[in-house]
Amino acid sequence: MRILLVILTTIFSFSPIEASEVSAWFEKESNQFLEIISNNEGTESENYDKYKFFVNKNFAIKSIAYGLIGEKIINQSSENELSTYLNVFTDYLIKTIYKLANSNSSSSINLKDVDIKGDIYIIKSEISYKKSSANLYWKVINTGSSFKIIDVIVENTSYFVTKKSEFNKILRKNKNSLEALIKEIQKI
Amino acid sequence: MKKHLKVLLLILSVTFLQNTSLYSNEQTVEPGISYDEIYDPIEPINRAVLNFNFFIDDIAIRPIVKTYKFIAPEPVEKGVSNFFSNLKEPIRTVSFIFQGEFYKSFNSIGRFTVNTITSLGTFDLASRVGMEKNETDFGITLAKGGVSSGPYIVIPIIGPSNLRDFSGDVIEYFVDPLSNNVPNREYIAIGNGFNERVEIDEQIDKVRDVSSDRYEMIKSIYYQNRNAQLEEEYIQNLPVPKIYIE
Repeated sequence: MRILLVILTTIFSFSPIEASEVSAWFEKESNQFLEIISNNEGTESENYDKYKFFVNKNFAIKSIAYGLIGEKIINQSSENELSTYLNVFTDYLIKTIYKLANSNSSSSINLKDVDIKGDIYIIKSEISYKKSSANLYWKVINTGSSFKIIDVIVENTSYFVTKKSEFNKILRKNKNSLEALIKEIQKI
Repeated sequence: MKKHLKVLLLILSVTFLQNTSLYSNEQTVEPGISYDEIYDPIEPINRAVLNFNFFIDDIAIRPIVKTYKFIAPEPVEKGVSNFFSNLKEPIRTVSFIFQGEFYKSFNSIGRFTVNTITSLGTFDLASRVGMEKNETDFGITLAKGGVSSGPYIVIPIIGPSNLRDFSGDVIEYFVDPLSNNVPNREYIAIGNGFNERVEIDEQIDKVRDVSSDRYEMIKSIYYQNRNAQLEEEYIQNLPVPKIYIE
């Protein structure tokens, strides 16, 4: 019975249907993202709103934001503080992606492979700009209603890991004060 | 004294601003390693050196890099990059031997032969015929031999490193079969350093733009890149956030 359960779990965790679903989602969203990058006709505020829509739709913002500060800080903070932090972090994430993407206009993103580890899909893609290219990995979860990005890894640099180092440093320096972290993030 | 200065200059130049791609890792590599607990006992000094490096970069190096990137056509930039990368193949060959990676060692010397004969290393024909480039250095050799990374250090002008990787650079200076047989090797080393700075120019700009603490950001990027060179399932093993209902 246990063996059967293990076999079934293995089969379903590597379901080709889900892998093709995540591939289709990725193709659609990456094309939309490239459209946003290459379309600079609107005002800066209009372009920024497009990035905002994209990030809100496709990123697991709460998971990333909470993951960056850790459970200890979450438990000691009030609902109000956490809500402020979440709003400030969302703006920060949008600004970061806006700044990074704006310097890489007219790129292309090609899907290479989809791997699954536990509940996380690891999408390997390649971003090309002029004659150079870089590996771009996306860690994605299925929330039931949609797929959400929990990390982006450019070549070998993970957004989540890098920001966690930065945020932890700020928190340690300020005696784990979430308020201090919020102020630092707002400076960017 | 002059000899010592030469040694120092060469060491400095060989690793000149390998900021984002060639840095060290945390102890022996473990899956899910905590990147925010990197051993950094001399952080205040490191921060001061990093600020100094950015200052020097701002006033001297960056303007030259930007001018070069503006003037040099892309094929020239690529050719120069290939040229300096090709010069490292002999030391990669030696490194792979020490790592017991004989196939890769053979591949490296093959690449050097093919690329040098066909284009003096300015065109990577070897990759086109299936001899892919494999990156390595003596820091990695030491890591694979079980040497822990030691403290994180930021070296003036050069940038981030750690004790193990810096030691690896020193060893490379003495065992590099090419550099030891080339006159005016300092110029090659400086040229190589400049080329590596050019290659990471965009990343440095991004660090300036999007970081709330560039010291932590550079340190983290450095260790991530080194771990990627050491750990097979690096991407899979990177820490991920706990999932909250959105």
